Amino acid sequence: MSEHKLPSIGPTVIPFGPQHPVLPEPLHFDLVLEDEKVLDAVPQVGYIHRGLELLVDKRDYLDYVHVAERICGICSFMHGMGYCEAVESILGLAVPDRARWLRTFWCELERAHSHLLWLGLAADAFGFENLFMAAWRARELVIDVAEETAGGRVIFGSALVGGVSRDVGADTLARCAAALRPARDETLRLAEVMISEPTVRHRLEGVGKLGRDRAYELGAVGPMLRASGVDYDVRRRGYAAYGEIDFETVVEEGGDCMARALVRLGEIEQSFRIIEKVVGGIPEGPVSVPVKGMPPKGEAFVRLEQPRGEVLYFVRSNGTRNLERFRVRTPTFANIPAMVEAMRGADLADVPTIILTIDPCISCTER
Amino acid sequence: MSERETQSLEEIGAGALLAEVDALKLDHWRLVQILCISSPGGNELDYSFGGGYAMRTLRLRTGPKDPVPSITHIYPAAFLYENEIRDLFGVRIERIDPDWEGKVYDVAATKPFSKVSVAATSSERPGEAR
Repeated sequence: MSEHKLPSIGPTVIPFGPQHPVLPEPLHFDLVLEDEKVLDAVPQVGYIHRGLELLVDKRDYLDYVHVAERICGICSFMHGMGYCEAVESILGLAVPDRARWLRTFWCELERAHSHLLWLGLAADAFGFENLFMAAWRARELVIDVAEETAGGRVIFGSALVGGVSRDVGADTLARCAAALRPARDETLRLAEVMISEPTVRHRLEGVGKLGRDRAYELGAVGPMLRASGVDYDVRRRGYAAYGEIDFETVVEEGGDCMARALVRLGEIEQSFRIIEKVVGGIPEGPVSVPVKGMPPKGEAFVRLEQPRGEVLYFVRSNGTRNLERFRVRTPTFANIPAMVEAMRGADLADVPTIILTIDPCISCTER
Repeated sequence: MSERETQSLEEIGAGALLAEVDALKLDHWRLVQILCISSPGGNELDYSFGGGYAMRTLRLRTGPKDPVPSITHIYPAAFLYENEIRDLFGVRIERIDPDWEGKVYDVAATKPFSKVSVAATSSERPGEAR
């Protein structure tokens, strides 16, 4: 029998997204393939570009917080808070201590529910339906606490220039801390299931590897960077109440999809610990200071640690009620070059897993 | 418990940009972001770099049509910022690698679509609906 060899057809370009079963949001890649191997990935953004940055010069600088919170439905409070911190920096405003601690409380609620959302989506992507449902059931407990304390399940509406827009009583905080304990226990159990399951390990270990130096060079941030062994977490700069609360930075060395999963699983637990510490140590006092008049001319850069990593806000005031420029460099935008690098050399079947362990937020990116 | 954050901002000329960026790369600073602020009088490009929890920003002011050299041969991750700035603000950034030739934002709107460039385009074509 003669041996037949198919002629090489050269690289093939496969469009991936913006609508794809594995993508919760519209991200688009042109994947350049040689057989099943990814040679290159060309990302494209703009599918749902909203021009929210431009709106800043048409809205009152105090009202714009509501727009900033709507950049993303997952880290909405942090976007509002980042904007507030930048404006407060121009105003030279010191936020009351209780407001700083409440900000930390809501930031960690968002981190926990964001990572649990990711866990469910990742489990769904590699066909682990029970894990997907259990993760989202635990997330529901976190969202319930957000609703009870902030009033909103998606958009918290609590960020305010000069503090936070509502106080949370000691009884409510204690009740919420108790309500979150089952979510924490369930997360630990799910993490154990996920880590010990051979089929999950097979899908994640050694896939989408990104070395420490390369991750740093490509400007990766958040769990993407920490999973490659770089100990960098912007919460260490001590904004809100992070300077007064002891917590661990979760760092892994593997640089692969498994390491990124482990970092997020560890961070969920850390978030619950931080919330317990906030509830136990929050000081009494006012939650906001009045802000009146025009902001002075000036500009400020502020960096925060969102669930997906470092986010940067820039605001410039021209002395009127409408700011001149607002800029958000989102963590997903910073992670795109590293995501492209992680995909190079991977199998086509692993692309959804790689994308999901980077946990892109297109809503943020298309601000 | 917390790390001290320092921030600095310095203005540089177009001729000094590459040398400054190269020096930062050799000193192991990572690229945090590139920001563009456009006005009818020209553009401001802010290049921010992080080293630990410190941040240094280099500010470059250019005329509306002045070319700006790309820094992608020093910081490969800059390609996304530079392509985006060209799409949104119409800044002439030369020798971006990879150069997507205005296709980062693959949208129906005429590009660039910053308020300055849109206003300029509309004034050049009076009567055209925005």
